[in-house]
Amino acid sequence: MNPTSMQVKYRWPSGVRCMCMLTVDFDGPSHEIGRKLRPLGINAWGRYSGRRGIPRYMDLFEKHDIPSTFFVPGFDAEYYPEIVKDMHRRDFEVASHGYLHEGWELGDEEEELLERTHKILSDMIGVAPIGWRSPSGRKSARTMRVLKRLGYRYDSSDKDFDLPYMVRIDGQRLDDMVEIPNNTYSLDDFPWYKFSMTPASEVLEHWKQEFDSIYAEHGYFMLTFHPRSGWGSGTPSRAKIIEEMIRYIKQHDGVRFVNLRQFADWCLTNQSEFE
Amino acid sequence: MDASSSVWSGSTRCTVTVTVNMDADTVDLRETRKENLYGRYSYGRYGMRAGIWRILDVLGRHDIRGTFFIPALDAEANASVVEAVLGAGHEIGARGYAFEDHSALGDKERETLGRAHEMLTQITGRAPVGWRAPQGLLSPETLTYLTELGYAYDSSFQDDDLPYVMSCPNGRTIVELPQFQCLDDSTLYATRHTHDRLLKTWSEEFEAIHDQGYFANLTLHARGDYGSGRASRAKVVDQFLGIMKHAGGVSFTTCHELASWWGTHYPQAEPAPV
Repeated sequence: MNPTSMQVKYRWPSGVRCMCMLTVDFDGPSHEIGRKLRPLGINAWGRYSGRRGIPRYMDLFEKHDIPSTFFVPGFDAEYYPEIVKDMHRRDFEVASHGYLHEGWELGDEEEELLERTHKILSDMIGVAPIGWRSPSGRKSARTMRVLKRLGYRYDSSDKDFDLPYMVRIDGQRLDDMVEIPNNTYSLDDFPWYKFSMTPASEVLEHWKQEFDSIYAEHGYFMLTFHPRSGWGSGTPSRAKIIEEMIRYIKQHDGVRFVNLRQFADWCLTNQSEFE
Repeated sequence: MDASSSVWSGSTRCTVTVTVNMDADTVDLRETRKENLYGRYSYGRYGMRAGIWRILDVLGRHDIRGTFFIPALDAEANASVVEAVLGAGHEIGARGYAFEDHSALGDKERETLGRAHEMLTQITGRAPVGWRAPQGLLSPETLTYLTELGYAYDSSFQDDDLPYVMSCPNGRTIVELPQFQCLDDSTLYATRHTHDRLLKTWSEEFEAIHDQGYFANLTLHARGDYGSGRASRAKVVDQFLGIMKHAGGVSFTTCHELASWWGTHYPQAEPAPV
């Protein structure tokens, strides 16, 4: 990694100062079922994603003409096939996010689970996903080898940098797979609504500060949220601040909203711009 | 405002139910034995000695009729409280026998629901028609058993902005009145938020619900720990009810009234999840 890269200005496409990506992790009933809980009562939070949250966000992105990426666990695609097909029809990117949102060490099961979700999504929308995000943020060298074999072109799970970089597997730098790091600690809704139950208006102010600093550094701003109730951003007041965030970002010069596929494509064809 | 704004009748823009989970000793008895219901295990008792009366006062001041869900054993131990709740025109709903985890009762579940139902019917003089899961947990059979006992609605799920109807494998239907964690005092006070922050969270959520013409299912507790029964917190409830009333077009109903209305106007059922 080039240690001076943090000072590089205007590494993005001409005229773009800050690339912006709003990413949605579907996290429907898979999240509870993977933990052996029935999607009933308080554990029906994930059903909110399919019933209300996902349609709400698709409408919101269309209203603001914003491309977006939805990371979908295979099980949720099977539970809500029409919604996933609709997502693809409406030109949103459908990417992989585990089968049952596995948040534990998978061992030898991992390969089959990655293949299963890959096949479910490919068959459902007629196009193979090219992006993956780890459910719960766990992954290994093995994960990357399988994703590479399945033809994935980006991963968005690592937390180790502010800029994209080319994936290394077994010490080898790939030239056809890019890592797009995310930050689950601050630029994700769930810690604010799960651990601290922070009022939505305060989360909005926090994210604006994040954006300001990233914009000042000419970086990329990637926000992740979950359209469920409970610890997600599906419910009305929390969805509202996402719209306010979009409006805030749009007030700035030189911002461009892209989905992760578009971003990865740009990275792969302009590797010298960032690495 | 989107298409859902038209779901209510007349000038109603948003429907609100004020619900109170009257969880008292049965909660503390999940952690300790009866002879230890002192000190840290007496917050539930606070709810029955002090908290509930303040909540009744606040609702009375606003002329709002609410729905009070109570575990059968807590109802038995606090008959005068139950009488006062009913006397003020509120609805009583069921909430298990001893605040059990219904997802883990197995073959005892049907009998437990029946026993709680019978007991609550005796204490209140009328059969409850609504149920809210203790701890928010149900088994795949719970809704079916509830329909066998004649229940018209459940209010335990957290998966929609509006009520909806579910059909059970026995062919009967039940209305769901979903709730949100962020409109529940216990989740916010349990994470140690101040009164101001709770009021902020509730107000923001209500404003967005009201904008969209949805349903707000406010959930209160009377307990002295994470409930709204203490003086400063009853005041927060008072303020919040005032905010909702002033928003315009808000219709306050009991859960029973809402479930009946919804079931009549939107009877189309979807299969209950398992």
